Amino acid sequence: MTTEKKALIKVDGLYKYFGDNHVLKGISAEIDAGEVVVVIGPSGSGKSTFLRCLNLLEEPTYGEVWLEDKLVTPVDPYLHPDIIELSKTYQSLFAAEKAKNSGRSDEEIKAELIAKIKSEDLLNEKHEGKAYKSLMKKIYNENYINVNLARQKIGMVFQQFNLFANLSIIDNITLAPMKLLKLSKTEAEERAKALLDRIGLADKAQAYPSQLSGGQKQRIAIVRALAMNPDVMLFDEPTSALDPEMVGEVLEVMKELAKEGMTMVVVTHEMGFAREVGTRVIFIDEGVIQEENTPDAFFSNPESPRLRDFLSKVL
Amino acid sequence: MKDWFADIAAQFKLNFIDGNRWQWLVEGFKTTLIIAFFATILGILIGVLIATIRSTYDKTGESLKKRGGIGIKIFGFIDRICKLYLTVIRGTPMVVQLLIMYFIIFKSSTKGTLVAVLSFGINTGAYVAEIFRGGIMSVDNGQFEAGRSLGFNYIQTMIYIVIPQMFKIVLPTLCNEFIVLLKETSVAGYVGIRDLTKAGDLIRGRTFSAFMPLIAVALIYLTVVIILTKLVGILERRLRRSDH
Ligand SMILES: Nc1ncnc2c1ncn2[C@@H]1O[C@H](COP(=O)(O)OP(=O)(O)OP(=O)(O)O)[C@@H](O)[C@H]1O
Ligand SMILES: [Mg+2]
Repeated sequence: MTTEKKALIKVDGLYKYFGDNHVLKGISAEIDAGEVVVVIGPSGSGKSTFLRCLNLLEEPTYGEVWLEDKLVTPVDPYLHPDIIELSKTYQSLFAAEKAKNSGRSDEEIKAELIAKIKSEDLLNEKHEGKAYKSLMKKIYNENYINVNLARQKIGMVFQQFNLFANLSIIDNITLAPMKLLKLSKTEAEERAKALLDRIGLADKAQAYPSQLSGGQKQRIAIVRALAMNPDVMLFDEPTSALDPEMVGEVLEVMKELAKEGMTMVVVTHEMGFAREVGTRVIFIDEGVIQEENTPDAFFSNPESPRLRDFLSKVL
Repeated sequence: MKDWFADIAAQFKLNFIDGNRWQWLVEGFKTTLIIAFFATILGILIGVLIATIRSTYDKTGESLKKRGGIGIKIFGFIDRICKLYLTVIRGTPMVVQLLIMYFIIFKSSTKGTLVAVLSFGINTGAYVAEIFRGGIMSVDNGQFEAGRSLGFNYIQTMIYIVIPQMFKIVLPTLCNEFIVLLKETSVAGYVGIRDLTKAGDLIRGRTFSAFMPLIAVALIYLTVVIILTKLVGILERRLRRSDH
């Protein structure tokens, strides 16, 4: 028997539609513990959407997100693709679609249909019987992780910092550990102070977000997420809203984190960061992963014309 | 000229000094303040509740509806009740609501002030709810997302992050609502409550001179409103400057 190593995060066939805007069109990826995955791509290509689907800030239209051996998507097991697939509604629609012989793959038709069934609420057989319900519950408990619990393990850092404007810095950091991890005030504050020390902002504990510079805010936002002891950290263009002279201090904190072995998924335009600390670079364009590789190979030997074109513009 | 002064003095004595009638005004003013203050508190409680329910429904109702189930049906029902409350309260005159409360719903009650607090509170709640809803919507969505991304559920995010910020945004408007309410309580006399207005009117009935008591009442309202408006102005500037 082999002990199969589970990826920390696994994304399988992720689709995200905003109405007619098909933003993600089948993204699959595995992120192992300790990896620093850098995601790059043109503006509007779906990088943020991809990242936000990982912690369900956006609900994927179709596809799965796994956190270790538990499913994060969908929130409602009734809308699990496998369950929908079993339904008569789906099967008759699928047969009709197949009969058209449009030349599309089964996988594609399936994605379309499940998205359609979900968005138009075509599934009317979902509440049939108690036995079915308890089976669903069992399936849920065995396979799913509650989305709020999953988010406790997935830290996120936003482009716009999003520090809580009504709370002091120390309260920003201690709020979640106290309320969600049930740490005592003393424990939470100790943890917060240690983190603030690490980024050299211990003297700002009592300040309010509006009194800090952008770079300081973003470093606080990083340690606010770290205070939850997450398994993985997501960064959505953490330096894009910063004045140039403050980019360095934020990247420095992120590099430190990477060195300590934190698993990170970073959307950024900082190619230097990708080269230096990335363990893998992913290029997303038009809603799919066009290319992925180790930083060295990625930048020195881009294969797809799209990536070559993109790199020629940003480097 | 001398006669005129003497006349004024006599009038003043008749209306306020004799029989210690100035105390009626003081008592009435107290009642007015009590009704306005507690009605505002009640209105805020009702307002927060309704605003939270309504904006939660606006935000999540659609996606929940698709999923079906009994939960969303109950939620939808509660949302409709809230809307009904807003429509009825904002679509009928305050005095009519007060009369209905006093003569129909709490027919046997002897606690007039309490009924008034309830009536004015329920009335204010409807207006405050919409103020709060606007406030909740004007809190940056990034704040909400940051809360959710840490693992807080919807209600926790609202309680710890969104609602405190909403309060700061709407605080000046809320104070203005209190000022409006202070004047609006002057109809409490309709159900026999001796508020400030009623006290002035009672003096008028006793002394058969309208000028002094009614002008006195008007001046008291005016003074309080001017002072409070000034304070709200200061508060507004403070809030804008501090930004936290
Ligand atoms: N909440 C939303 N509702 C509707 N459309 C959205 C929403 N969020 C994103 N989109 C659309 O999805 C597409 C991809 O957006 P996304 O933010 O993921 O791109 P991005 O790669 O992060 O771009 P950028 O580099 O500019 O941040 C865009 O066309 C955008 O308009
Ligand atoms: Mg983006």
